[in-house]
Amino acid sequence: MPSVSWNFISKLPTEGMTKGGILPAITGTVLLTFITTIFAVPFGIACAIYLNEYARPSVLTNIIRASIRNLSGIPSIIYGLFGLALFVQALRLGTSVLSAGLTLGLLSLPYIITTTEEALKRIPTVMREATLALGATQFETIRDVVLPKALPGILTGVILTLSRAAGETAPILFTGVAFYINGLATSFNQEFMALPYHLYMLSTQHQSIGQVRPLAYGTAVVLIILVFIMNCIAFYIRFKQRTQD
Amino acid sequence: MLVSCSADNTTIKIKGSDTEVNLAVQLAESFHSTNPGLFVSISGGGSGLGIASLMNGTADLANSSRSINDLELKLFHQRGINLDSFIFAQDAIAFVVSSSLTIDSITPAELAAILKGSLKNWSSLTGKDLPVNIYGRQSNSGTHDFVKKKLGIDFSPHAKEMNGNAQILEALKSDNSGIGYVGAGYVIHGGSKGIKVLTVYETKNSKAVSPLDAAMIAAGKYYFQRPLFQYYKTGSFEKVKPILDFEKSTSGQKIIRDAGYYPVN
Amino acid sequence: MDIKKRESLDWFFKQAFKATGLLTICMLGGIFLMLLYNSIAFAMDIKPVDFFTGYQWNPGNANGKYSILPLLVSTGLVAAGSMIIAVPLGIFTAAFLSEFAPPKLQAVLKPVIEMLAAIPSVAIGFLGIVLVGPGIAKLFGIQNGLNALNGSILLAVMALPTIITISEDAINAVPKSYREASLALGADKWTTLFKVTIPAAYPGLIAAVMLGLGRALGETMTVLMATGNAAAMPRGFLDSIRTITATVAIEMGEVPYRTTHYFALFAIAAVLFLITLSINLLGEYFANRLRKFQA
Repeated sequence: MPSVSWNFISKLPTEGMTKGGILPAITGTVLLTFITTIFAVPFGIACAIYLNEYARPSVLTNIIRASIRNLSGIPSIIYGLFGLALFVQALRLGTSVLSAGLTLGLLSLPYIITTTEEALKRIPTVMREATLALGATQFETIRDVVLPKALPGILTGVILTLSRAAGETAPILFTGVAFYINGLATSFNQEFMALPYHLYMLSTQHQSIGQVRPLAYGTAVVLIILVFIMNCIAFYIRFKQRTQD
Repeated sequence: MLVSCSADNTTIKIKGSDTEVNLAVQLAESFHSTNPGLFVSISGGGSGLGIASLMNGTADLANSSRSINDLELKLFHQRGINLDSFIFAQDAIAFVVSSSLTIDSITPAELAAILKGSLKNWSSLTGKDLPVNIYGRQSNSGTHDFVKKKLGIDFSPHAKEMNGNAQILEALKSDNSGIGYVGAGYVIHGGSKGIKVLTVYETKNSKAVSPLDAAMIAAGKYYFQRPLFQYYKTGSFEKVKPILDFEKSTSGQKIIRDAGYYPVN
Repeated sequence: MDIKKRESLDWFFKQAFKATGLLTICMLGGIFLMLLYNSIAFAMDIKPVDFFTGYQWNPGNANGKYSILPLLVSTGLVAAGSMIIAVPLGIFTAAFLSEFAPPKLQAVLKPVIEMLAAIPSVAIGFLGIVLVGPGIAKLFGIQNGLNALNGSILLAVMALPTIITISEDAINAVPKSYREASLALGADKWTTLFKVTIPAAYPGLIAAVMLGLGRALGETMTVLMATGNAAAMPRGFLDSIRTITATVAIEMGEVPYRTTHYFALFAIAAVLFLITLSINLLGEYFANRLRKFQA
């Protein structure tokens, strides 16, 4: 893999993106995933807690569950449209890394809820009952007993979901991704470069596709390695937890 | 936080023509070394995209390889936006075929017949019984629009719509019966192995002109040549001024020439 | 901390958690309303009859043609092709994994399949450009491999993990006694698989196919990169096609907000939304039958 070198991942693109590195695309993807995380993870975990710990079987609960199932089946390009209509237009955030990150957050939400709920389900009811019997409120039970115990399971689901989000392209197409920015993104209201879009651009949109093919291969390799590392971390946490139980 | 986010004065957003994107990126690279505090973000996607983005407020500067059309102008009026434009270079469209085809020059009429799909075979032009494969651009491309208007045709529905100039050149290199159109800058930079650029003549007696001939372009003699525009809102002139100034500077003009375009003097 | 404070904290968090639950309903409602609102705006400009009949998608200018048919046929063609490849392959892999594979091989294959699901769609699309496309061009002696077949092959790869995982659950859920009864009657392993296990797992397998199909129909980047994007009515698998998702991806950036073309893109997205929604609901229905079967 001659195209992937230290220079490739630590330098800015040069000469019309036919030479140089992909550093802005890497930092862009990291920043984007960071925004997705701070938005989707608290909301997703809170919703899963509600569904698993508080909600009783009712019409409302059924509607919430049905919504989550349907949200996870909606094509990602429709999330892109929704992000465009909501964040870029209605909330006037413009095309920016913030709009794109929030859009990916919406996309990730149903997955985080589902995987968190599964992790919570695995905690035996006896543990909750024991704490409640000692006089703790339900919130204290969740905070001090359920969540710490379910943490590895939740973490696995969150990391797997974020690895998907980091590789998504369709939802960020209209919400803030750019071909090129002449520096590293420093604020939330700037447009940004992202690894998956960079690969798309290098392989279909760039003017000298043949010439930049090695860069496209390099970008693909970096993107896949990034996603695989995240997956491996998730698998490791899951494996360790299973051997502990 | 939300309010502060909508007013971004440190990034100039440039969007539009794929023909100009390579050039814009190279300009932005050099621009950054003289103006490190000012960011430039660039996206391609076509001239229509640039103008629409300008209208939608998601771009500050729209690169366009065609002049703005009446429909777009009407929409800008409806929204109460005033526009200014700036021509920063000349581009010539090259018609490219496989080098194995026995044809060197062509007339606009023959091109029209080929591109609208009425001439489906190369036999009448080259004597070889080969089907014509058309490689064009998407409808949002200024190049697509320019060729369509210049020839006064609608493209054959079977024309392949490629995403960029380079994809067309790549396809033509491996297709011995294809024809496509790209900006002349790309032929120079994309390599010319396996392909050739057709010269264009308007009547039997006139001289065939190559889009790679700088002197003829400067004289405005090539049939498929066009100015490259940059549109901006009158109100945001101060914001885009630094990059426009850079394009007019000597170093900016040199970058334009090196990229295969013809600077406007 | 005194009990009052603790209880009010408890109450506060209960409401906060509940609010996030309601947020998911708002999200689905918001997406639905957004599509509906813009589709109605579109229907004011273009007659719905012209939208569902007609043969041309050629939007943008004053007398643009807005027929969804070529896009719908393209979407259907490429997704159907992907299922023709992925369904047999997926079900056999699942059957192999649960019935024949030694535990060690299972331990390796399962994470590999999960990893396959994690590969970004642009990376698969890139594979279509540099590997599958040229391969198809060579195999069929055509000039350009960016066509429906290319898209189908890639979508099959993307739908496989979904199909394998759910099929495997379905096959595992078939009670052991069924197989033992069949084997005791003298049927061999293969006959048991085809005549007993797979028919018994049927509802689960349909659920697997539906959810895989849902994924294939909604995929954007892969088809955008690998299918050539010609908006003409396709005549076969070797034609370039343009799916609904690819059309939205290509054209959404170029349209001025709140014009007919802009509304049209929401309208075709609404059609896609309804299709994927019903396919997913159908899959859900069969998955529920599987759950009852397990219980």
